[in-house]
Amino acid sequence: MALDDRKRRFEVLALPHLDAAFNLARWLAGNTTDAEDVVQDAYLRAYRYFSSFQGGDFRVWLLGIVRNCFIDWVRENRSGRMLFQAEPNAAEVETVWTATPPDPEALLLETLDSQTLERMMAHLPLEYREILLLREVEDLSYKEIATITTTPIGTVMSRLSRARLALRKLWLGAETKEASHVL
Amino acid sequence: MSCERMRPLLVRLADGALPQPRRYFVARHAAHCSQCAARLDELCAIRTMLRTKLPTHRAPPGLASRIVAALPRETPPAPSRPWFRIPAFGIASSGMFGALAGIALTLVLLHDGGRDDPTLRNLIGGHVRSLMAEHLMDVATSDRHTVKPWLSARLDVSPPVRDLADVGFPLLGGRLEYVDGHKGAAVVYRRAQHIINLFAWADAGPNTGFREQAQQGFNVVSWRAGGIAYHAVSDVNSDELAAFARLVGGT
Repeated sequence: MALDDRKRRFEVLALPHLDAAFNLARWLAGNTTDAEDVVQDAYLRAYRYFSSFQGGDFRVWLLGIVRNCFIDWVRENRSGRMLFQAEPNAAEVETVWTATPPDPEALLLETLDSQTLERMMAHLPLEYREILLLREVEDLSYKEIATITTTPIGTVMSRLSRARLALRKLWLGAETKEASHVL
Repeated sequence: MSCERMRPLLVRLADGALPQPRRYFVARHAAHCSQCAARLDELCAIRTMLRTKLPTHRAPPGLASRIVAALPRETPPAPSRPWFRIPAFGIASSGMFGALAGIALTLVLLHDGGRDDPTLRNLIGGHVRSLMAEHLMDVATSDRHTVKPWLSARLDVSPPVRDLADVGFPLLGGRLEYVDGHKGAAVVYRRAQHIINLFAWADAGPNTGFREQAQQGFNVVSWRAGGIAYHAVSDVNSDELAAFARLVGGT
């Protein structure tokens, strides 16, 4: 029956990306329970709009829906919470660069453990966390990220830069704190 | 090229997103400029760190099967499917509903064509379809704290969902519905062995009283309150349906 075919086709396309969908939702929502709700919602929505999938990368299409479901979920559950923060202005970001000139020896990133990195990521604004995940974990191109976040490609590039700088700043701050603690 | 203008290109180089020949020129610049070289190293180090050390979360076991189980067993109904096509569909698709379809077919034949209200016909069509197509509920639960948020997350209206079990109308669940060109909610209640579909969609008109109609063996009570149009549809008798409407609509 045609309806069963449709369902089977959806499952074959969508279920392999469940881990990716869950990981994104988990990083955005911050806990497993909410992430599960968001992902389940996203899959139902994806199924409902399956006929509007125009081909191309199903994962990109699906992750875009996960993101939308997360935004709806926040609106539903935490009205009033600022969802995506305003971009810090470019000048502020530039100060980060110039105030602490790159010094590979000061920035011993290889000594950073996963737990600290996880905590630092959790401190980042949502849109930074999101873009770093899409780029480094999902290994998506600028263009694919632009599709998912419905952002111009130029914004994707500058936001990605800022996200990395913000992470670097957190790391430098953590290092200094730790150093002074030791002293 | 100045280091200032080089900066965004370094990012693209680190991301492997800089096509030739610019990649060659930027890499050559970085090879001769210690500051740019340090920045490039740093960008690459941040990328490597995230790729190798960021914990990823795998979907919990059971989530996949829960999702598959929750997928609706049919595609969303097309808007405003004419009611009279339903019986043929019912007979063809399911023996179990054949009897009901037969009754519906009889009702079509008995139906007097002079009093044909398309909205009413579509409402009853939606009701019958929900009984026959095994698509009574998208979310099946008697917990109104589950049904209401589920519906309002998907619609631009948030219809009240009440638990009326203690007055004889237990809540069964809810689903999304397209009726008469409106995208709305259908909240499903039960009265003894009869199903009541309460259709609700956004309608900015003024509040109205309860209007009772009957067609094709079904009763319909309609009203408008708080920017939502309501239509309760069922084959329970008109007095009981009117009582139900007052319970739901009496905010």
